[in-house]
Amino acid sequence: MDPTARPAVVIDNGTGYTKLGFSGNSEPSFVIPTVVAVNESFLNQSDICRNENWAAQYNAGIMADLDFFIGEEALSQFRSSGLYNLHHPINHGLVDNWDTMEKFWQHGIFNYLRCDPEEHYFLLTDSPVSSPESREYTGEIMFETFNVPGLYIAVQSVLALSAGYSVPKSDMTGVVIDIGDGFPHVVPVVNGYVIGSSIKPFPVAGNDVTQFVLQLLQERGELIPPDESLEIARKVKETYCYTCTDIVKEYNKHDRKPEKYIKQWSGIKPKTRVPYSVDVGYERFLGPEIFFHPEIFCSDFSTPLPDVIDMCVQSSPIDTRRALYKNIVLSGGSTMFKDFHKRLQKDVKKIVDDRIAASSARLGLDVKPQPVEVNVVTHPIQRYAVWFGGSVVASMPEFYQACHTKEDYEEYGASICRTSPIFKGMY
Amino acid sequence: MILLQSPSRFLLQILQDRVLSPDKGVDIDCQTVEFDDVRYHIQFSTRNPKVMVLSVALPVPPPEAVLYDGLPFGAIEAIKMAYGQAVQILDPPKDGFDLTMKINLKKLPSDEEQRNALLVKIASVREVVLGAPLKVLLKYLATKTVAPDVDQLVALVHRPNESFFLVPQADKVTVVYPMRFQDSTDIVLATSFLQEFVEARRTAALNNAPSCMWSAAPPLELTGAPPETLTANAGFVTFVVFPRHVEGKKLDKTVWSLLTFHAYVSYHVKCSEGFMHTRMRRRVESLIQALDRAKPDAEKKKFVQGKSFKKLSLKETSYT
Repeated sequence: MDPTARPAVVIDNGTGYTKLGFSGNSEPSFVIPTVVAVNESFLNQSDICRNENWAAQYNAGIMADLDFFIGEEALSQFRSSGLYNLHHPINHGLVDNWDTMEKFWQHGIFNYLRCDPEEHYFLLTDSPVSSPESREYTGEIMFETFNVPGLYIAVQSVLALSAGYSVPKSDMTGVVIDIGDGFPHVVPVVNGYVIGSSIKPFPVAGNDVTQFVLQLLQERGELIPPDESLEIARKVKETYCYTCTDIVKEYNKHDRKPEKYIKQWSGIKPKTRVPYSVDVGYERFLGPEIFFHPEIFCSDFSTPLPDVIDMCVQSSPIDTRRALYKNIVLSGGSTMFKDFHKRLQKDVKKIVDDRIAASSARLGLDVKPQPVEVNVVTHPIQRYAVWFGGSVVASMPEFYQACHTKEDYEEYGASICRTSPIFKGMY
Repeated sequence: MILLQSPSRFLLQILQDRVLSPDKGVDIDCQTVEFDDVRYHIQFSTRNPKVMVLSVALPVPPPEAVLYDGLPFGAIEAIKMAYGQAVQILDPPKDGFDLTMKINLKKLPSDEEQRNALLVKIASVREVVLGAPLKVLLKYLATKTVAPDVDQLVALVHRPNESFFLVPQADKVTVVYPMRFQDSTDIVLATSFLQEFVEARRTAALNNAPSCMWSAAPPLELTGAPPETLTANAGFVTFVVFPRHVEGKKLDKTVWSLLTFHAYVSYHVKCSEGFMHTRMRRRVESLIQALDRAKPDAEKKKFVQGKSFKKLSLKETSYT
């Protein structure tokens, strides 16, 4: 069987979590935190005595390059023994530390997926704001170390778009709002190409919502065991938070009927084994509210998310704007709050309608301009939308021609990986 | 992780999740591929919550290895012995696969430890099926006899279109692997890795391990083998397995290690490449720091990887 007959490996490297799996499946085989625990006790020695005392270093560090863990095992090893240091190879969506990234891929491919990289085509994902050099490095690692037969580096936003389609014949135009653990961006994509100059960052991510929920709980005096506080806040956020339409009304609703709205979170303290319970009240709707009013959490950024989306579309070419408004796609774990898409759609539509009304009032037109349709698309696989898009793309027959092959790499060098072609099958 | 693990992590994860939450759940229909072209297809539907269906496809066998009904010799008996009542083999297997098993979640042992052990065994179905003929031969070795009606030179499936050879005798079994790699760098690294492997065996601590030899030419044991199998670009590795290596618990581990030898070598070759990259990057970093020192003061950046120049000069002298 040659590599094109086997399913491709799809790896979506995110700041918080990496999703690994094979194409053709509807969900990733593994979702592991992007963290590596490395035993660094041998590193200091080797820098000094690299040329002398090779035998001693050989014996001490003989297994040292294999002594590392990734994902959940890394976190538990780090907590249980003091030998390991934690490294996060990806920060804000961009790879910082290529050594740990290579180790992460090595373990992910051989230990988790257990596949032979020489036998599969690979699809990796990349942030829309990453530099071409980082794609070159990725290509270099993949082709040199793992000897992959073919590689395609996709932009995460374009994959999220292709995941959201229920109608097969739609063109790849839309605004992608990808809110995961790292740095969320609002990215306009037209016909499969990202409009780089219109990408707008948004500094509030999933981590910040967790911090905010924790802050509110602690300010109210709830007793939460301190070493697990972030974990508990994260679970509370994922279980109980929802998006409301109006904060004032929501406060009233909570105050009038507390037994309907206030939930309990109970757990057992790990050290003392004493059960405790935490009341969750206003945090339920205040948490996701920071996307719409960032000033309640961070003091230096105050543009709400709907405004950022609107600014992004307005800065795109004028002939694409209607199509962009029509297809606003959400992806990432932090967009999964209940009713998030409804609130977003309502807010963006209000901004757009206000602007159209103001301009037609100013110009005194008799003919009213056609109303702009605003549509926020949501679908059940939002959490892994990027991975799912990758799986769909990698199962199309044109995928194998669109990949960069090892022969091309050996002929032209790593610079071929700087761009990956969008192919017809994605339309 | 130095050795490749026997159970498939993905299968184990799915099985354990399913057992932990028997009432709720979503439909699962996943296909995965493992090294050497072993494919798994696991299915679970909420309409039939007590049953999971697992199909396995094996690598394409080379002409000299014999398969019975698409499965290696002794595979069906091995499955029945390993899994007992919990697993039922479906005949014929699903389209495109060589073996389909129905796992009955109600019939798993109720004791948690035994249940986990059985789940691990189910996730190691590859070892059970592909390792069946090897296990049979090695069991005879443990009793110091030779299996009846077995040829002098036995070929077993190792990778797609490749096999490894066994010469079973009463007091020892000789295992010969022709090693082939595709990439030229891999061939060179594998050759030196295997030669180091043989050297390492000679250290005193490893006296109890099976003796191993490496040679570039086909060894004498392979004189009866068909000529296409005798081309190997990374040499031939020979292990001699004695009865003490296959008694009791060691039998399973020995079978797994012998079965996945090529994957093991390939994994370590790639780890070495990764490690060399790490060292190359560190070297490049230090050279760049040296270059930065040569820039005139007006151009110097504010920070150079956070290291002060005094420290840099000390490091500089240690390399010369």
